[in-house]
Amino acid sequence: MLAIAEYVVRGALSGAIYALLAVPMSLMFVTVRTIDFAVGAYALIAAAVCWSVGGALGLAAGLGAAMACAAFMAIIFLALKRLGCEDHIIYALASFGLATALASLVLWWWGTQAFVRDAFSDPWSVGGIRLAPQGVINFALILLLVGALHLLIQHTSLGRMMRAAAANQTGAALASIPVQGIQVGTYLAGGLLGGLAGLLVLYSAGLDFTAPLGLTLSGFGAAIIFGIGSPLRGFFGGLAMGIAQALAAGYASAMVAGMVPFLFVLLVLTTSRFGEEALAGGRP
Amino acid sequence: MSFPGQRYLGPRPNTLIIAVCVLVALPVVLTRPVWTDSAVVLGVYALLGLSVGISYGQAGILTMSQGAFAAIGGYAAAILTTRFGWPPYADLLVAMALPAALAYGVARLVTRLSPLATALATLALGSVIEILIRNADALTGGYIGLAGIPSVGAINTPAGYACLAWGMIVVTVFLYENLMCSAYGRALNVLRVDQARARADGIDVPALMSAGFAVSAAVAGAAGWLYAHYISFLSPESLDTHISISALLMAVIGGAGYILGPIVGTLLFDGLTRLMPAAELQGFFYGAALIIILLAARTGILGLLAGLARRLRRPDATPAPRAANLSPQESLP
Amino acid sequence: MSRGLTATGIEVAFGGVHALRGVDVAVEPGKVAGLIGRNGSGKTTLFNCITGFVRPTAGRTTVDGVDVTSLPPDRVVKHGIARTFQTPRVDPRATVLSAVLCGFYSRVGASFVGSLLGVPGAWREEQRLHRRAEPILERLGLAELRGREVGQLSMGLIRLVEVARCLASGARFVLLDEPAAGLTAAEQERLAEQVRAVAASGVGVLIVEHNIGLVRSLCDTATALETGRVLCAGTPEAVVRDERVMRSYLGAIGDLAATEAAA
Repeated sequence: MLAIAEYVVRGALSGAIYALLAVPMSLMFVTVRTIDFAVGAYALIAAAVCWSVGGALGLAAGLGAAMACAAFMAIIFLALKRLGCEDHIIYALASFGLATALASLVLWWWGTQAFVRDAFSDPWSVGGIRLAPQGVINFALILLLVGALHLLIQHTSLGRMMRAAAANQTGAALASIPVQGIQVGTYLAGGLLGGLAGLLVLYSAGLDFTAPLGLTLSGFGAAIIFGIGSPLRGFFGGLAMGIAQALAAGYASAMVAGMVPFLFVLLVLTTSRFGEEALAGGRP
Repeated sequence: MSFPGQRYLGPRPNTLIIAVCVLVALPVVLTRPVWTDSAVVLGVYALLGLSVGISYGQAGILTMSQGAFAAIGGYAAAILTTRFGWPPYADLLVAMALPAALAYGVARLVTRLSPLATALATLALGSVIEILIRNADALTGGYIGLAGIPSVGAINTPAGYACLAWGMIVVTVFLYENLMCSAYGRALNVLRVDQARARADGIDVPALMSAGFAVSAAVAGAAGWLYAHYISFLSPESLDTHISISALLMAVIGGAGYILGPIVGTLLFDGLTRLMPAAELQGFFYGAALIIILLAARTGILGLLAGLARRLRRPDATPAPRAANLSPQESLP
Repeated sequence: MSRGLTATGIEVAFGGVHALRGVDVAVEPGKVAGLIGRNGSGKTTLFNCITGFVRPTAGRTTVDGVDVTSLPPDRVVKHGIARTFQTPRVDPRATVLSAVLCGFYSRVGASFVGSLLGVPGAWREEQRLHRRAEPILERLGLAELRGREVGQLSMGLIRLVEVARCLASGARFVLLDEPAAGLTAAEQERLAEQVRAVAASGVGVLIVEHNIGLVRSLCDTATALETGRVLCAGTPEAVVRDERVMRSYLGAIGDLAATEAAA
């Protein structure tokens, strides 16, 4: 019994990272109707830069680097739009190119090593369950952040504009809502949140240059489990995925645990009606 | 002008072009061992590129699992020949049928979704297959891999493999062009641009998309089969996500919507990679090239050339006298 | 059983909103039936319902007595119903000929694998399709343009290509959704001529149209919809002159005219 509790708690703690990655995914999907494949790469860049610089300055440098990459992606997005590209899969493809390029840059500069740092050496023990302190800190931070974002989206005028732009882009543009500005902001938010996720991973499980695609896909999986509409649902999706992964690792094998995010994505996509409206092709 | 087989090849310009190019280039390539080896590896990549062309360029499925399909084909070949003693050409059928069946099944489940969701499903599928291959030690040899895969019948020299590889490419282009010149090929193009129009035409959209994806997976499986027999050794790193990504990028860069686009992309790209200073930076150049091509010529290099040719032919033709918003997806190659 | 395409008592609800409430409409072979009504009155929903894109909550659609209600769109085509869309979305690289060939899809006999392998049967059928497309192109005056890319054509010509595509499917009933929208007067006249010719060949046409003049000159019968109900039906003259239709269709202008007349 204690074992199950331990797995669940540990899973929830590690799932918080997925929850954090789910936020930019769902924001991006709702406001731009596409996916930023580079979110995982922002995480990697942030972790690598922070690892090299070190200290509090490292944290800032890491986030800055991630934001700079996201800004670059936003410029690509704007350029594509300016060129008359309205195809969302092309935006996704471009971000895929950026993700590949960034991962390769990290490989070239830092090599194949894993980026990991430990701020705490001894695990805490709560009611017989051993907990990694960093995991608890991550969880608390992410919970706070997602809660704040949720309030921001639901109760501020910025949030209202975002939701309006998401619901009907043309209508929102006519109501003089800066749709394009919101979309660019969403890309930048992807850099910030992705970078933050990278820093938190750096101080807990660690990551290497192969991580980005898996991180992106995990974030996406977490975002779609309970419906892609809101960060709060993404948060619970992330926890669910983390717990499933921890249970799989405990009771099945490391192989199954490694497959959990991908299986979640496949399962949700094959059973849900996610994105099915596209079949009607937006026809009236 | 007339030549043997004109009735069949006349309306198949792409097959004709690739056949002539291969016949002219191969004798030259075979004079140097280094070139010969490259020709085989390039052939494998070109086949994978073609498989992306069928799936993304024609059916509109942005596929990120071609490497995994190739791995299934490769492992099917390796396991059947080394463990069960199959003759090394009979396994080609399995190497193609297995990924095709898997692709069809998965596609039936996900192609009713938006193109973006389908793309993610292929990425997840590829990742799952990769993990399974790594961990099924008893079958695939796990991390160590499988060695001693026999060569294909009498073909046991690099030159032989180069001929086999490019022969397979000519045959694939021929079949691909057959498909595109048929009602089904046209229907694939319709459903890529407008699924509602496709359904009103009487097309069973999920079934046809899945069939297209299955053909694409079969071609990828054939590429894996060729790779396994040529290298004679297969490990999880041989045909992984990295390969899926490169194949996708090469196809898009060459022009995924054009039958020969992926082959052009592969040749050009390989040339560029050889000039590069560090192997680690390969991904950087791939990604940068993809972004540049998306910005500069979304329909790929062949699309760019076709546009130029059109302008040369009709210099007075206004570039776009069509109504705005006519086809929101025209950006697809 | 009755000949023709009939939809009776069609009701459609999206969530709690009733888009159609008991609509009847009939198209006879060789006749042109018009469908008018303001935006949002349910014309396109009715089209979607007949062609299987939307499932009606009540009512039935029959073609020459055969029930096609709730069949998916790709099966409805096989019963001889083809349609166009309000905003044609085309593959700009496809030629006019290949766009028309697409219409044959529901009647293709060759198998997918046969086409892939290029077996002689598939080969011969492909050539047969090319031959059969010619008279359709001729009929709509598109023969000269067969090699042009659809993306290079004017909207009027694109709509004609769409009509040709419907005819290729062997449709006995063709549903045209605002085919004259955005066309020049000359193009509209040309389209009307083609539609008349199509009807004369025995095809029943159901057409959504805002241009009252065109409805008068083209249609044999007309139905006016408002907020999902049939406002009135009959000859185009009668429908167009109906006071309720005037008020609904012309909105404020109609009211103004009525007020002026009263004064």
